[in-house]
Amino acid sequence: MTSPAITSTRPTIKFDRISVILWIGAAVLFAGVFAYGGYLITVMQLAMIYGVFCIGLNFFMGYTGQASFGQNAFAAIGGYGTAILCVQYNMEPVLALVTSMVVAGVAALVVGYPTLRLRGHYLAMATFALGLITYDISVQWTSLTQGYMGYAGIPPLGIGSYTIEDERMKLVCLTVLALIGLWISQRLRNSRFGRALRAISGSEPGAAALGIKISRYKLIAFVIAALYASASGSLFAHTVGFISPEVFGLHMVVVTFTMLYVGGVGTIAGPLVGAIVASLLPEIVRSTGRFQDVAYAAILLLMLIFAPKGLYAVGDLFRSRKVDKPETRA
Amino acid sequence: MPSSVELIQSLINGVGIGLVYGLVAIGFSVIYNASGIVNFAQGVFVMLGGMFAHTLLTTLGIPIWLSAIVSTIAVAGVGILVQILIITPMWVRKAPLFAIILATLAIQLLIEQIIIITLGDQPRTFPSFTPGGPLKIGEIALGYQLFWILGCGALMVYALTQFFNRTRMGRALRACSQNAEAAALLGIPVNRMLMLSFALSAALGAVAGILITPTQYTAYSVGGPFGINGFIAAIIGGFGSAPAALIGGIVLGVVQSGAIVFFGAGFKNVVALTVLLIVLLFFPNGLFGGLAKKA
Amino acid sequence: MTLLKVRNLTKRFDGLIANKDINLDVPEGSLFAVIGPNGAGKTTFFSMISGFLPSTAGTIEFDGHDITRKPQDQIAALGLIRTFQLVQLFKGMSVAENVEVGCHLRTKGGVASALFRPSWFYQQETEVRDRARELLDFVGLSAQSEQDADLLPYGQRRLLEMARALAAKPRLLLLDEPAAGLNTQETDALALVIQKINAQGTTVLLIEHDMALVTRIAQRIAVLDFGRKIAEGTPDEIKQHPDVIAAYLGVEEAEHA
Repeated sequence: MTSPAITSTRPTIKFDRISVILWIGAAVLFAGVFAYGGYLITVMQLAMIYGVFCIGLNFFMGYTGQASFGQNAFAAIGGYGTAILCVQYNMEPVLALVTSMVVAGVAALVVGYPTLRLRGHYLAMATFALGLITYDISVQWTSLTQGYMGYAGIPPLGIGSYTIEDERMKLVCLTVLALIGLWISQRLRNSRFGRALRAISGSEPGAAALGIKISRYKLIAFVIAALYASASGSLFAHTVGFISPEVFGLHMVVVTFTMLYVGGVGTIAGPLVGAIVASLLPEIVRSTGRFQDVAYAAILLLMLIFAPKGLYAVGDLFRSRKVDKPETRA
Repeated sequence: MPSSVELIQSLINGVGIGLVYGLVAIGFSVIYNASGIVNFAQGVFVMLGGMFAHTLLTTLGIPIWLSAIVSTIAVAGVGILVQILIITPMWVRKAPLFAIILATLAIQLLIEQIIIITLGDQPRTFPSFTPGGPLKIGEIALGYQLFWILGCGALMVYALTQFFNRTRMGRALRACSQNAEAAALLGIPVNRMLMLSFALSAALGAVAGILITPTQYTAYSVGGPFGINGFIAAIIGGFGSAPAALIGGIVLGVVQSGAIVFFGAGFKNVVALTVLLIVLLFFPNGLFGGLAKKA
Repeated sequence: MTLLKVRNLTKRFDGLIANKDINLDVPEGSLFAVIGPNGAGKTTFFSMISGFLPSTAGTIEFDGHDITRKPQDQIAALGLIRTFQLVQLFKGMSVAENVEVGCHLRTKGGVASALFRPSWFYQQETEVRDRARELLDFVGLSAQSEQDADLLPYGQRRLLEMARALAAKPRLLLLDEPAAGLNTQETDALALVIQKINAQGTTVLLIEHDMALVTRIAQRIAVLDFGRKIAEGTPDEIKQHPDVIAAYLGVEEAEHA
């Protein structure tokens, strides 16, 4: 055992130095991709989009300690909502994004209220079923979703007559949005609300004994995760310009869990770090298409077996413990 | 309103597909009872059974009975590989429930993608085991394959019941399901039993896939729906005995066929999944409470 | 004034009677103990009061409110806070954070305030942290405040759970076998803390197996055996009560002889 005095002071020092290095590293990486351009820009765009999804998933899985294998359902609502509203009804992209989020949030509320009473295998299967139902509907309800064909020609993000066409600008915009998502996640985590979620993850009886309304907090976390998922679905539609049922299938579940595991479940920056690292990895080995999914599944399996806590050590450094350090309060 | 002939026809079809769900459900129960794990990739075995049999039959020209046997053994081998490479390492490390479920999902994606790369993504089918038919009773048509499904389904359940009750190995597997630690103390090789349960359940899935392919089709993606439907059947049947799982499958199959008559074929999975959600919501501990006790 | 009033509380499990017609009055400000040999139905009794187990019959009244079959979080909100025999710390949170969660009922705010952070948010957070520090001081864990809660040794986990419960400013603190698994030294430290808590005005209801601890610190004791209350009185009365000696002490002494 180390002496308590040392353990109590060390983390804060470590946190500052290494996190600064990591952030600088991220900035350099980002600048490099930005300058290099080409395909890597697209890869980073997708990383940011998946990052948004993972930040939301982390709310439910990481902070609250609950498993959902069906968050892709809400990404599908976001993606299709945006596609339908923008292509069929010429709605403003931002408005479509927000509308889809509202729909996804309401759907999560309605579906989550009964579902979250389930536990263990039943909760897992019920959430998994949500994703499959959504997939089947998106394939079958052709008059609404255009089936396997999917939607093409979805306009890029923009406000009014100003649209973001340039790939670099798209990346900047997505990065800013992902960072805002991260900032919100950080704020919510370090609060009474976030503590209640983490208490549920730590011990449900303990949390109930302290007066925490467990089912209510689980539901809120589920809805927040759905809002993030929907936003990421919309962003995908705007960025790529095309969606189909496959985008939001089992592939998405496995890819996002891989990212979350790589970055560290339950940490603040883990989901985004994981999304970036896990997106770049397949590029390094230059695998494409189908092989990429094989790579993701294999990485996830290896991590689940050999590193079940994820690259937690990295993510751990981002765990800021205190809410209002003097500088944030000023 | 659909005519009565239509309804009877769909009832019969429902029994056929329901038996197949029942076989998958037995597969779920076998692994669950041996290890407490619900293998979400169960449907992949169904898909592999159909795909392997099709490949052997059409590309290599091997007769159907031999293709079926070889495919079943091959899929059982895949089941053993999954158990040795992934499940046991996680089991030994006492991985949380959720991580194991996630792993089985990753296995499903992995195998599906490998199938796409090696065999392609086009749906395929092969003819009934015996040519000719269908048998006509009035206006109702009974395809010969239906009799194969009924026969093989009954045979499998009979064989399994005998296996679990009469053989040393079967009894050892049952002992594991009741109390793995006590079984280990009695000298039953628990890990070997886990392997056996995966082989058995993969083989069951393969048989289901081979039986159903002539009446529908098979493709890399059929695993998910079969897995879910099998799981629903297992819940209805209570994760216990093989006959109960089979009955669970038939109930689901009939409900689903009815749904096809009323809503159209495209939404059969949506209906089944909705049934699942409703069952789970109104019976949060399962219809027979079999799973909740251990989960 | 009676803070907790239990009337004819009964619990049956599939025909087995775990608790039968138990009556109990816990006066405000007291340090009350319920004791009994293993299997006497103490834990069942405790779980019903704290809302973790529904009762079969009878009523529980807390501070004038009927809390029979109320959900746990509502019971907690009224000021009845429990601890667990198998300590339920929040894994993955630090010692200080565990106590901060304890402030949940005495603070406000949800998603919106966490996001927009009005000035009261910061003020409240400061208060929460100060309170946590105070309470960790009180139970003697301030040196470990930044440590992961799961890394604490067993005796300190108990103390932490108690500090966490105190953060909720309970009117009645329910302690479920707090001395279970502790050595003599740890038990002494614990006894001191319990007495200090009571001295500060919190009513304490203690369910305990350890007779020595209970007779030392409790002001009043009720004894359960085979699911029934067989005696109630001051520690001295209980020590001399023939039924208690027969049912409890006799067994204990015979075991230890």
